[in-house]
Amino acid sequence: MDFDFSDDQESLRDAVRRWVDKGFSFERRHGIAKAGGRTREVYAELAELGLTGLAVPEAHGGMGFGAIEAMVVCEELGRGLVNAPYAQGALVAPVLLSAAPAEVQAAWLPKIADASALVVLAHQERAARYRLNHVTTKATKTGNGWTLSGAKSVVPAGDEADAFVVPARTAGADGDAQGIALFIVAKGAAGLAVRGYPTQDGARVAEITLKDTPATLIATDALPVLEHAVDAGIAAVCAEGVGVMDKLVAVTAEYMNTRKQFGVAIASFQALRHRMADVKMQLELGRSMSYYASLKMAEPAAARRRALAQAKYQLCNSVRYVGQQCIQLHGGIGVTDEYIGSHYFKRLTMLEMAFGDSMHQLGEVSARMQDTAGVFA
Amino acid sequence: MDLNFTPEEQAFRAEIRAWVAANLPKDISHKVHNALHLSKEDMQRWAKILGAKGWHGWAWPKQFGGPGWNVIQRHLFEEECALAGAPRVVPFGPVMVAPVIMAFGSPEQQARHLPGIMSGEVWWSQGYSEPGSGSDLASLKCKAERRGDYYIVNGQKTWTTLGQYGDWIFCLVRTSSEGKPQTGISFLLIDMKSPGITVRPIIMLDGGHEVNEVWFDNVEVPADNLVGEENKGWTYAKHLLAHERTNIADVNRAKRELERVKRIAKAEGVYEDTRFRDEIAKLEVDIVALEMMVLRVLSAEKSGKAALDVAGLLKIRGSEIQQRYSELMMLAAGPYALPFVKEAMEAGWQGDQVGAAHCAPLAATYFNMRKTTIYGGSNEVQRNIVSATVLGS
Repeated sequence: MDFDFSDDQESLRDAVRRWVDKGFSFERRHGIAKAGGRTREVYAELAELGLTGLAVPEAHGGMGFGAIEAMVVCEELGRGLVNAPYAQGALVAPVLLSAAPAEVQAAWLPKIADASALVVLAHQERAARYRLNHVTTKATKTGNGWTLSGAKSVVPAGDEADAFVVPARTAGADGDAQGIALFIVAKGAAGLAVRGYPTQDGARVAEITLKDTPATLIATDALPVLEHAVDAGIAAVCAEGVGVMDKLVAVTAEYMNTRKQFGVAIASFQALRHRMADVKMQLELGRSMSYYASLKMAEPAAARRRALAQAKYQLCNSVRYVGQQCIQLHGGIGVTDEYIGSHYFKRLTMLEMAFGDSMHQLGEVSARMQDTAGVFA
Repeated sequence: MDLNFTPEEQAFRAEIRAWVAANLPKDISHKVHNALHLSKEDMQRWAKILGAKGWHGWAWPKQFGGPGWNVIQRHLFEEECALAGAPRVVPFGPVMVAPVIMAFGSPEQQARHLPGIMSGEVWWSQGYSEPGSGSDLASLKCKAERRGDYYIVNGQKTWTTLGQYGDWIFCLVRTSSEGKPQTGISFLLIDMKSPGITVRPIIMLDGGHEVNEVWFDNVEVPADNLVGEENKGWTYAKHLLAHERTNIADVNRAKRELERVKRIAKAEGVYEDTRFRDEIAKLEVDIVALEMMVLRVLSAEKSGKAALDVAGLLKIRGSEIQQRYSELMMLAAGPYALPFVKEAMEAGWQGDQVGAAHCAPLAATYFNMRKTTIYGGSNEVQRNIVSATVLGS
């Protein structure tokens, strides 16, 4: 039991932090958001740092690092409020492709590692909310392959992506765990339509529709793979949330020590100090559960799913509380667009809804409860 | 980073588990698992079993007769005891006064007091709070005047937990009114059989006699019983608080009690009720998060890197969780939480139960647990401390 980071992990953290400090100012972020949220240029810079190959096996040109390194990177990207589909492209996609036949892995993983291809998961459907077994997109076997028909919503970096990993149904009814296959669909495929639009926090997503679109099979009966990939996404979101919260809390503390009312710094008022103590509580509970999420990624599926749901539930509550209260502690300046605090808050809000909000995750925790409880239960 | 304990630590855990299973009397663990009344005899029997093994002072270094365990071993011992249903060790002797005697006491004091604490023979009480000094402890007034080889103690202590059983009491007393209130306080060890000491029960809202008032009327205390130097007692007491560390979170007991919440909820037919079950699920996440925070503190302490300043958070969260599990158990019992049948909280009572036997102590425990956010520095005082770690003072 050891929660210290290794020297290599600390070096990785330093490298990302240096890049953020040097290359990713708030003005740059603002400019990207105002221009519609396109971030391939930023993504390419992350590739130059080697970060896009972090989770890709060494045999395919990546670094083959694990969940702790991913957590370190995501924390730092969160702290820098970096808008780029890093978790999607570099952490979720490799898990999905790990189930693919060798030739499909060889075709895509090296490109993911060097960021010449941005591959994103397109799994959300209109009525599914966060339930991964709700898939209505239909897969049809053709002579020498497959075609897909259906629609996917709020796909991250959708109109910047080079390919999509699409869950589609080969058998069974909506809601069945069986009969869900994963496919890869390349940009420009016949019958694929992509409509991009910005999100509340200045990132970019898309609606995609598929009509008899040719697709390459990754794996059949692949719900467990999809769940594993989403768990990697959850761990990344938890870590990013910790980074964003860390920075927002620091910014808020600094503001409270400089802002004066009634002739004194507002940090001297007990009502505000106690609020800050509660903010610190949510931050540290969140950090603890972000560690938990990443440390549990290598567990067998049942234990991993339960732990990741617990972690995301905590992080959902933490990011919402810290975001809302830090805005409140700022007063009027907190609700302006020009002030950085509101942007941290908006990012935190997006993170709550990524891969399942608090209510969804509470349902997952509730359904997976056992007689015993605790970190090692 | 690694969540798992080392093979050596796991072997240590297995050793403790086997020992506790073989040595913890079943009648005692039955009472703990069912929140039935523990007598002085129950508590002291367990203390002496631990003492005979040299584990009543499980956090003590070897030089004072302890096992010399590191923080991880101590945690594993505490966890195994809690999960097995061992009574909480009454902390005043082995956890609270002993470290002060070790750090600041004379060799004579160490030789005189530590063996009796380790063996569980001598019951210690704590004399800190006073009627006018709760959160503002440094304002305490209980006075000790030096006369020759004695201190003459006059005043009152209160909230003295289990003081009705006390053989000795360690007190913060005022020896000077000069300067800041903190600088005139001394740390005194007092034999509770001394003439002039009166212990009066305070009956709490749950009907239990857990705390007391202790009155001092011209009590003669040998000057040899002063720990360290006169007027330095506040420093020693703070040293003691630094020894609280992760204990205050009480997360091991919370895990055991969450299992009990689930058992009661199942028996009362609310475990499958979504609204109720979700409340248990929330508590489960709270407990996992608290345990992770505790493990982070232990890891930092073990490695000596990046110490964590979260003691206040552990106190706040741990106490809130204690209150919440007691609340959920009571709510699970529903109307059967209402009857007040004091005898039903005694093991082996054969009278007419109203509702299931497990319902009898639930409301009393719920009432009792209100203390947790008040004692040990109220949660509001803790928030003052925590805020200073973020905002500066």
